[in-house]
Amino acid sequence: MSSDSVSTSTELSPELRVKPRTLAKQVLRDSDKEEPQLLPNETVQDMAQDVTYFCPFIGAMRGTVTVTNYRLFFKCMDRVSLPAFVLDLPLGVVSRVEKIGSASTRGDVSYGLVCKDMRNLRFAHKQMEDTLRKSIFEVLMKFAFPVSNGLQIFAFEYGQVFPENGWKVYDAVSEYKRQGIPNESWRITKVNDHYEVCDTYPSTLVVPVNIPEEELKRVAAFRAKGRIPVLSWIHPESQATVTRCSQPMVGVNGKRSKEDEKYLQAIMDANAQSHKLFIFDARPSVNAAANKMKGGGYESEDAYQNAELVFLDIHNIHVMRESLRKLKDVVYPNIEDSHWLSNLESTHWLEHIKLILAAALRIADKVESGKTSVVVHCSDGWDRTGQLTSLAMLMLDGYYRTIRGFEVLLEKEWLSFGHRFQLRIGHGDKNHTDADRSPVFIQFIDCVWQLTRQFPAAFEFNEYFLVTILDHLYSCLFGTFLCNSEQQRLKERTVSLWSYINSQLEEFTNPLYVNYSNHVLFPVVSLRHLELWVGYYIRWNPRMRPQEPVHQRYKELLAKRAELQKRVDELQREVTNRSASSSSERAGPVRQTACLGDTLC
Amino acid sequence: MWPRKCISAESSQDDLWGKLICTNFKVSFIPQDAPPKQSRLSHLLLGEHDVPLTCLEQVVTVNDTKGKKKVLGSNQKLKFNPTELILYCKDLRIIRFCFDEAGPESAKKVCLAIAHYSHPADLQLLFGFEYQGRRYHESKERINGSTPRGGLQTPIFDRPSDWDREIKRTGASEWRVCSINEGYAISQSLPEYIVVPVSLADQDLKQHSLSFTDQRIPLWCWNHQNGSALVRMANLSDPLQQRKTDQRFLAAITKSHPQRSEVFRSDLDKCLPNIQDIQNAFVKVRQSCVIDPFEESEERWLSSIENSRWLEYVRAFLKHSAEIVYHLDGKNSSVVLQEEEDRDLSCVVSSLVQLMLDPHYRSLIGFQSLVQKEWVMAGHRFLDRCNHLKKNDKEESPLFMLFLDCVWQIMNQYPAAFEFTEAYLTLLSDSMWIPLFSTFLFNSPKQRAQHLMDFAKNKAIPQGEDQVVYFPPVWNWSQQFSTKDQTLFNNPMYVGKGAACVQNGEVKTFRRTKKTYSSTLRGTSASVRNGMRGGEETLPRRGSLVSELRPDFSPVKDESPSERFFRDWFSRPADQQGLLIPLLMPSHMALWKLYFLRWVPEACIPRGGPITAYHKLSQLVDEIEILQSQLRQYKGPSPGSTPLPSPSGPPSDQRRMYFKAGSPNDPPTPPDFLTSSFPFTPVGNLCRRGIHGTPISKFLNEARIWLSTETLANDTV
Repeated sequence: MSSDSVSTSTELSPELRVKPRTLAKQVLRDSDKEEPQLLPNETVQDMAQDVTYFCPFIGAMRGTVTVTNYRLFFKCMDRVSLPAFVLDLPLGVVSRVEKIGSASTRGDVSYGLVCKDMRNLRFAHKQMEDTLRKSIFEVLMKFAFPVSNGLQIFAFEYGQVFPENGWKVYDAVSEYKRQGIPNESWRITKVNDHYEVCDTYPSTLVVPVNIPEEELKRVAAFRAKGRIPVLSWIHPESQATVTRCSQPMVGVNGKRSKEDEKYLQAIMDANAQSHKLFIFDARPSVNAAANKMKGGGYESEDAYQNAELVFLDIHNIHVMRESLRKLKDVVYPNIEDSHWLSNLESTHWLEHIKLILAAALRIADKVESGKTSVVVHCSDGWDRTGQLTSLAMLMLDGYYRTIRGFEVLLEKEWLSFGHRFQLRIGHGDKNHTDADRSPVFIQFIDCVWQLTRQFPAAFEFNEYFLVTILDHLYSCLFGTFLCNSEQQRLKERTVSLWSYINSQLEEFTNPLYVNYSNHVLFPVVSLRHLELWVGYYIRWNPRMRPQEPVHQRYKELLAKRAELQKRVDELQREVTNRSASSSSERAGPVRQTACLGDTLC
Repeated sequence: MWPRKCISAESSQDDLWGKLICTNFKVSFIPQDAPPKQSRLSHLLLGEHDVPLTCLEQVVTVNDTKGKKKVLGSNQKLKFNPTELILYCKDLRIIRFCFDEAGPESAKKVCLAIAHYSHPADLQLLFGFEYQGRRYHESKERINGSTPRGGLQTPIFDRPSDWDREIKRTGASEWRVCSINEGYAISQSLPEYIVVPVSLADQDLKQHSLSFTDQRIPLWCWNHQNGSALVRMANLSDPLQQRKTDQRFLAAITKSHPQRSEVFRSDLDKCLPNIQDIQNAFVKVRQSCVIDPFEESEERWLSSIENSRWLEYVRAFLKHSAEIVYHLDGKNSSVVLQEEEDRDLSCVVSSLVQLMLDPHYRSLIGFQSLVQKEWVMAGHRFLDRCNHLKKNDKEESPLFMLFLDCVWQIMNQYPAAFEFTEAYLTLLSDSMWIPLFSTFLFNSPKQRAQHLMDFAKNKAIPQGEDQVVYFPPVWNWSQQFSTKDQTLFNNPMYVGKGAACVQNGEVKTFRRTKKTYSSTLRGTSASVRNGMRGGEETLPRRGSLVSELRPDFSPVKDESPSERFFRDWFSRPADQQGLLIPLLMPSHMALWKLYFLRWVPEACIPRGGPITAYHKLSQLVDEIEILQSQLRQYKGPSPGSTPLPSPSGPPSDQRRMYFKAGSPNDPPTPPDFLTSSFPFTPVGNLCRRGIHGTPISKFLNEARIWLSTETLANDTV
């Protein structure tokens, strides 16, 4: 078997990893069978034998394919060795299925599966003699794109019960309370309680104290999609804030809104430390200007006194999608022997990562060092804006660098503020050419990974945590990344990804984590330090396997320390007892333990 | 005189005022108001602002108002008063001084002095000869009598016993130490004692030596436990005798193999970049890393690194070495590395092969003995390749640096496999530019012996005194660093021989599992990644995939036996104390940031970088060592009256970790000195400078042209 297959099954089958100890044996026993171990409410839809899988790394192999309402399961039947080659992928990762012309002499039909997680799979089987019988891959298509076929996404059927309910991780009011809100300048408003002001915003919003609800509605009328400036984060000392919104509806005629201007003034006034407000427009200035034609635009410095507008030059979703597509070409399946770095450069992926991180760093620096409040927006304020506010918050506030804090950050800045996951990922939708699809969230997680590389001891979570999040971005097993907004999200009917993650935190914990107080991260945003995240983008390549993670060694050392501490404590107790009873008897155990000590040295 | 040392490129407000002095050893800057020490590491012989003259790559003087600049060599004239002096250093520092307040004459004087003394006319003029003579006599007075080899644990391989031990250690029973080159009677570049096949008599060797370049008969390097030997040899120079000699040696090497298997020969000149290529690559990568303006070069950073070809060459050497490993380990055949002179590429390849195959060389002492054996004693031309005398630029090539980078790549992939750290490798590379150690000063053991003999005569050192004592190698690290600073060499993650490892909460001892390799397959990636998971790793798994595939399902591409060997190896968990093969896809080759970017302020991550993980690991290991010391105290000499051990553990000078376990009451704040450049400090060490917006690179090119016109002008005067 190849390591390729194993990583597939273990990385994409979280349900199998809940109890790792019992699991290992189960996997091995199961590999004797042809079927996968099914999840609650998972049912086999079809099975086919004598299917060939063309592994780009090892070669062709023949085996059995099982399709369920959740996954595709391929098991190599060529050999009897244990464990067998297994491919186990959630259908959610399938972006499209292509029937490849059956020019083969053997009369095989061949299918190509293009996946959202940086790989393509190719299968072939004999032409069906019975023409009425559907190919297993046509069955697969039905369940891979349930939305297009009037079926339910598997997350709504998955009934696993976890010890913790992940939907309870984030509570907006408690998170704002943690930040010290409400305070004398900021209040929590219920104006959007039923999503009537803005249907893509959360119901709980934080706004300046002195702006009445009526005015909020007028501000909403001037901001794209009603996404008014609201507080994301407040500095515990300087009271400088990070606020987010969408673009103002300035249009070609340069429309103004007195309420909006007053509102931004109120945001500035809420921070006594500075008489300036920075408006960070994530877009390149050309794009921002072009938006005027569509009624949008940006704040003119004439209209907004004391505000300084800065364009951050981050490109739109289409540019990012194209960049990732190029990246996939460069890394999958094989990396060419020459021109690796210039090929990587030509994808511009790292350059985009750099621009995003640089922008977030500017925001964090303004807030931390400049003690100045900032307003962040792009066009609609649900893609680039979310990337920037959440990255800046990650740099500014160590809480978000814990596992739970990071979950809160995602719930807050991405899920509640309406990053359109359904649209950007296209869950269960066969329309793979949809121009609304874009790797905005992947880019964000990549940026987080870059930060963990520069600050290996500053994050409570490990790389595996980030990879797991991305795997379930597509898997459609959990409800977390389904839907486009808080309003649409049906929490009761699905399981949260955090239920699963928080039930086995050990797996996701970075043992090197040090909870430094007041540690603001100022990463070096330079290509000299940015790296391609090989552990994610190139993980299917068996030659790319990480060798010996530092974390594992650290865990070994921790266990060793615990062992030694136990010995020392025992001895100490013994010595104390002995001196207390002043027994002349020589203690045997001392010798024994000392010998053990030697082997440990 | 009061020049100004420039600290920041943007403004002059952080600049330091002070004295600039040129001695026969170093360029020294003494700040007027000594600022708080920036560097964490104190060199015992060099101050923070000192640069040894041997470390100077280029001395450039500038006159801003006249728009003139000149690269200064030895014994040159300077026809303008310099307003600035820029020192380009071999350790990649760039240091800039301004003379705005200094008298023009004294400025000129000091620049010319620096240029002059950094181009010594003769090897004996390097400061080491002065320094070691003085040191020898002073230490003699103090300790009255010599300590054997200065307490040095690293074998030097200048005596038969060192070779004998190596033969025994590797089980090379079919090889013997031969002393025909005693007094360098046969070859000018070989060491006095070499190891040869037992089947070759001294007389044969003498006779055949004439056919080789510089009479370098093939040199045994190492033996695999399966009996295969690694041998290096120079080309045959005598076309008439060529065939006969060649066959004679190959037969002897074959005879020394238990299975008499065929010898694999690798002609390094044919498949690896030459020394010029390597030098060009290094110049380019250095240009990209430290000279090109930081911001402007960002956009094309990746392709500029690629265009330098440095990483490509690093990969080529690693890859070739891995191929050799396949022959020795996978094919069980002896290997002969052949190179024209056997003094450059062979050094890199033979030491990398041994590092991969033999965990002994991944310990500190082992690594030092490897450098001693495959570089110093094998006659690598350190003097020429380092260009210490700045006489022949064509001979300059950073082969040793290339080797260190290769070692770093393996270390980067297997962080627990080496006893030493990347800080050690970096400090070792810096030591090449301090002319005080016998290690990097000579082209061959013979040259070394001759110079040291003359030196001993001149310095009235008694005959028969050990060279290692009166002119020590770099391995005596207490010459440069305090015991405390030397703990920076220690890798807290190192899994040494017999070190304990913990699996599933149980303590086990690492065993060499070489023999059982072939019957086990590697566990799942998850089990490897998460380490603590039980069960599955220990289950034996049979066979590899390809070998059991039916013929009609042969792989997409045909796999060569060596590819199979590597894939098999990579499918198993790596044994830190066994064979280690680095992953060699282009995407695995990383730029060694500590070495290349440590002086670049813009690239320095505040409170970040790998050192923050090292910090945490060191503290944990320190705690473990305190506990171990407590256990030992319990065991103590008189168990009946065991005193309560001190909770602090061993005395601080015996503690192995640089970062000590903190008390639980310490506030958890990241120490400010922890940056990605640690233990180095980029502040003030480098100053890129654009003259009127011209990048420094262009400026230097112009400087070369300018130099020739200056020379012409002189001629006409």
